[in-house]
Amino acid sequence: MKLLDFSSMFFTIAFLVYCVAFILYGVAVMGRVWRNRDPEQHMKKWGRLSFLVSTLGLVAHLIYFFTRWAGAGHIPVSNMFEFMSTLSMMIIIAFTVIFIIYRKTLLGLFAVPIAIIIMAYAAVFPQEAQPLIPSLQSWWLQVHVTMAALGESFFAIGFAAGFMYLLRTVDFNSKEKSDRRQQRGVEFTLLSIVVVIGFIASVYAFRVGGYESVFTQEQESKVSRVEYKLPPIVAPYQSKVESFQSFLGMKEPLFEAPSWMVGINAGRKLNTIIWSVLAGLILYALIRLILRKPLGRAIHPLLKGLDADDLDEITYRSIAIGFPIFTLGALIFAMMWAQIAWGRFWGWDPKEVWALITWLFYSVYLHLRLSRGWQGKKSAWLAVLGFMIVMFTLVGVNLVIAGLHSYAGTN
Amino acid sequence: MGKSRKKVQIVILLMIVILGGYAIISNVNGSGGKPEVGDKAPSFNLLGLDGSVHNLDEYKGKAMVINFWGTWCKPCVKEMPALQAQSEKWKDKDVVVIGINAGEDVMSVDNFVKQANISFPILLDPNKEAIQSYGISPLPTTLFVAADGRIKKIHLGELDLSTLDYEIEQLVSNQ
Amino acid sequence: MIPDILSFKNTKCECGHQNPVGTVLCEACGKPISKEDQESDKLLEMRYDGMARRSQRSTPNMIDRIWNFFSSVKIAVYMIVLTLLGSMFGTIFPQESTFLNIDAATYYPETYGTAGLIYYKLGLSHTYESWWFVLLLVMIGASLVICSLDRVLPLYKALSKRKIRKHMQFLTRQKVVYQTRLDEDEEVWINNIVPALKKRGYRVHTDGSALLAEKYRFSRWGPYILHIGLIIFLLAVLARGLPGLNMDQHLAFPEGEIKPIPNTSFYLKNEKFTVEYYTEDDLPEEFKGKGKMLPKLFQTQATLYECTADCKDPSKEPQLVEVDSHPIEVNDPLNYKGLKAYQFDFDTNPILRSVTPSLIEKKTGKDIGQFKLDIRNPERTYQVGEYTLNLVEKYMDFGMNDLGEPVSISPNPNAPSFLFLIKGPNLPAEGVQYFYFPKQIDKQRFQQDIINEKLAGAYNLFELDVDGMSNVDFSMSTTYLNIRVDKVMPFVWLGSAIGMLGLVMGFYWQHRRIWIRIDEGDLTLAAHTNKNWFGIRKEITVVLQKVNMEVDEKSLDNGGNQV
Repeated sequence: MKLLDFSSMFFTIAFLVYCVAFILYGVAVMGRVWRNRDPEQHMKKWGRLSFLVSTLGLVAHLIYFFTRWAGAGHIPVSNMFEFMSTLSMMIIIAFTVIFIIYRKTLLGLFAVPIAIIIMAYAAVFPQEAQPLIPSLQSWWLQVHVTMAALGESFFAIGFAAGFMYLLRTVDFNSKEKSDRRQQRGVEFTLLSIVVVIGFIASVYAFRVGGYESVFTQEQESKVSRVEYKLPPIVAPYQSKVESFQSFLGMKEPLFEAPSWMVGINAGRKLNTIIWSVLAGLILYALIRLILRKPLGRAIHPLLKGLDADDLDEITYRSIAIGFPIFTLGALIFAMMWAQIAWGRFWGWDPKEVWALITWLFYSVYLHLRLSRGWQGKKSAWLAVLGFMIVMFTLVGVNLVIAGLHSYAGTN
Repeated sequence: MGKSRKKVQIVILLMIVILGGYAIISNVNGSGGKPEVGDKAPSFNLLGLDGSVHNLDEYKGKAMVINFWGTWCKPCVKEMPALQAQSEKWKDKDVVVIGINAGEDVMSVDNFVKQANISFPILLDPNKEAIQSYGISPLPTTLFVAADGRIKKIHLGELDLSTLDYEIEQLVSNQ
Repeated sequence: MIPDILSFKNTKCECGHQNPVGTVLCEACGKPISKEDQESDKLLEMRYDGMARRSQRSTPNMIDRIWNFFSSVKIAVYMIVLTLLGSMFGTIFPQESTFLNIDAATYYPETYGTAGLIYYKLGLSHTYESWWFVLLLVMIGASLVICSLDRVLPLYKALSKRKIRKHMQFLTRQKVVYQTRLDEDEEVWINNIVPALKKRGYRVHTDGSALLAEKYRFSRWGPYILHIGLIIFLLAVLARGLPGLNMDQHLAFPEGEIKPIPNTSFYLKNEKFTVEYYTEDDLPEEFKGKGKMLPKLFQTQATLYECTADCKDPSKEPQLVEVDSHPIEVNDPLNYKGLKAYQFDFDTNPILRSVTPSLIEKKTGKDIGQFKLDIRNPERTYQVGEYTLNLVEKYMDFGMNDLGEPVSISPNPNAPSFLFLIKGPNLPAEGVQYFYFPKQIDKQRFQQDIINEKLAGAYNLFELDVDGMSNVDFSMSTTYLNIRVDKVMPFVWLGSAIGMLGLVMGFYWQHRRIWIRIDEGDLTLAAHTNKNWFGIRKEITVVLQKVNMEVDEKSLDNGGNQV
């Protein structure tokens, strides 16, 4: 187990190095306007340093990945923690590829935090390496999951660049209807990111506090038990309290999950979602209070002087690079594996369907762009929406809809 | 060029219509290959309690009532007298009643048949082949097959004497 | 006729080339055709290089209209979006096909309430088999065929019909343009730049002081190859519905029994089913001591037989020949000439197959003799010593009905029981009844001794008893296999491979063209690519550097937004 501890250490190191890289990218971009310096020179110098640091982070991340592979005896993509940390690693790989092509320092300011958030999200899940169940014992696990994750990572970079394009080009001072709508769209995207951060923050806060409440539910004479790690706002449908740790004077759940939410875990998942949204909204309100203006408008000036066309091009390019990889990994390899394991290459399992939806969505993006001339904002919005679909496929499907892929273990 | 182009267009559109129509029809009617009302009754090749092999061809030209049953299934046992009565009533009017037992052994079936005084042919389906090709899930299930071999009605669950009588009458009068 | 003549006149370019209806840019020299377009200074519409799409005709009839409908990318996008939305609806609740045996009409409302009822009524519980979903897929297929046909030929023509010296407007209205004054000799400059271009993989054609450099043209065929792959894929999937090409069965195989695979001439024997769990040492800390069992291996050691004679006659024993054997695991099916057996599920409840009890005289404990009692197919009579045992009744799963009569409550041998009539010395001529439960637990549960005392009264002199486990035969477990035949799979993979090839060609290479013309010392360079403008600008700067021209990458951009 020594190797696994070593591996965990490098996970933490990678995380911290990414955080440093993020700050450096911030200095590189925001420091342009500081006095006593040539903006070009500053950007170049600090940009190079930040890229060096984020590459160092990637090296640490790769060490984590391969030592864990060696330690656990199988590729670390078999549960939610492993998958999400691999995804964040792939995002940095995709970022590195795109950076080498375009050399846009600013991209780091947006791509690195996505990887950081996903890494933090990964750490929410149980981190122990567990042996593979029979259905996962296949060579295809490696190629299917890594290729799918890599394709999705390019979509993530497409999202980062597309979102930057929007922050750069949306007119935040206009009162016109279409501009207002776009302002709200940008704000909503930012809010979604804040909600994810809120989720991670609340899970960590209560984990540090050691919070736990337990419910039992009796259904068809079978008793199941669930441990809540967040204070229960919602109890599972028709459940009994086994133990309840009070929180801020809350001594019992505020209400009960509706009857159509089957199973004891549905209640806990709903509770988690409520907590995430609550924490996210509070966090958002705090940021708004400090900034005294919408987040989008606050970020907008940072991107001044940036070539919007380049961002548009980067968005498109990373999606164009990611699309064939995604097709191969998430659809073709998935079909081949399904054929070998279950004897049917396609079974309309929710995860399969959502991979198809993602694929169809990006094929719409490409058709609109290549044949209908959709560019700029329209295309950037599609890139943002596309990544939301990707995230729903990876996280939402496991959280909300369960299928054959549910072994991935969600919190 | 104009003429040949038009021909190509028509040929391609026609192919799309044919293939597309086939795709839709086979998918919507597909229901997993399970025969439905209006379909031909699938053939079977089963050993009867009498020790000889029976198949659909023997009953060609006759209307059939095919009953899938088991000795453990209460409604099946309950409806047996009605089936027996009807088989005697319609014997001379080219209606046969056939019971297909769902996978039990000879002895259980034989004992039951003797006890219940059943005289219509009982076939054994130890490997549930007929059960599968007829797509039977709950027992009892009774199929009413017209003389042309087409399924006229599929009844799920227990039958009483009058319903059975009515259904057979429908089956015969429709010819 | 008049519009025809007008358009006929309109499509003739000043360079003398006669263009078909619908052409945007002259096929030969690239000059815009329409008057308004000639006067504009916007970027040119370079899609399909300004060629007329095949379907565009001045007087469309019915066929043309249908053709045009499917030929439109806009319509194709709408269809993809509808398919996407339809697929989403299908994932709200589990599909009917995920359950082996349910009554959908009651399952959805019972499990999901009103929402489930609506879901079921709308037919969304079988979204992917519904007529509208299949229709959408068919329409996408049609669109794939027609869109490709309509564009491939004109594009092919456009790319092969090239005049090296293009019209000035064609050049200056490209997205990448560079104009400068040349001091050297025109021909010399052209000759100098040719090797620089060739070095970067361009095929270069010159015509005096005009030049065309082109590379990776095959990339333009990428999308169409992808579409061909998708069509093959869809056709293969469609062909699965044809009889004989696809079979899918879910069957149970108790250990040690040869069972037929319906509708085939094959029989399969489950020699041994193994399930292994990870030991405590293999498990991570959090799992230890929690009694959590994590499976490590499911394996069915299977033997496949083929029937060679007496196959269709249930009154005879089929004659079998072993053809294959394989340890079936989850990711490792048995595969015999396209017939595949996949590990799906298992049941480790042992099933009693036969017992070999002894007939024992109760008073003396004397063992009169043994006989083998097959649970499923017992004999009618057994001869043990001087005694005859007639099997009168058997119940696979003993129970009582409402009238208090003994019945079998299921066809499964959960609680088998047998009623014998024993005849022989010291017994009445009509015999004595004896109830026998082979399973010890049932003996007590159904009070075998009390029953027999009532049945035999004073003649309750014998009992059946099994001596030791060697006289009991169990099938230890049952494995569930999916038996499948899928003859179209090679075509599914072929379609996927072709599609993937098209994607790689289309996305990882870009068709790049550079035109140069020099008019009395005025150099005009223009370039076009179907993707990655950044790349081509960079490449042009590098090439120009080779002929000692320093150009800023960004300044090559002629502005505007065009792919």
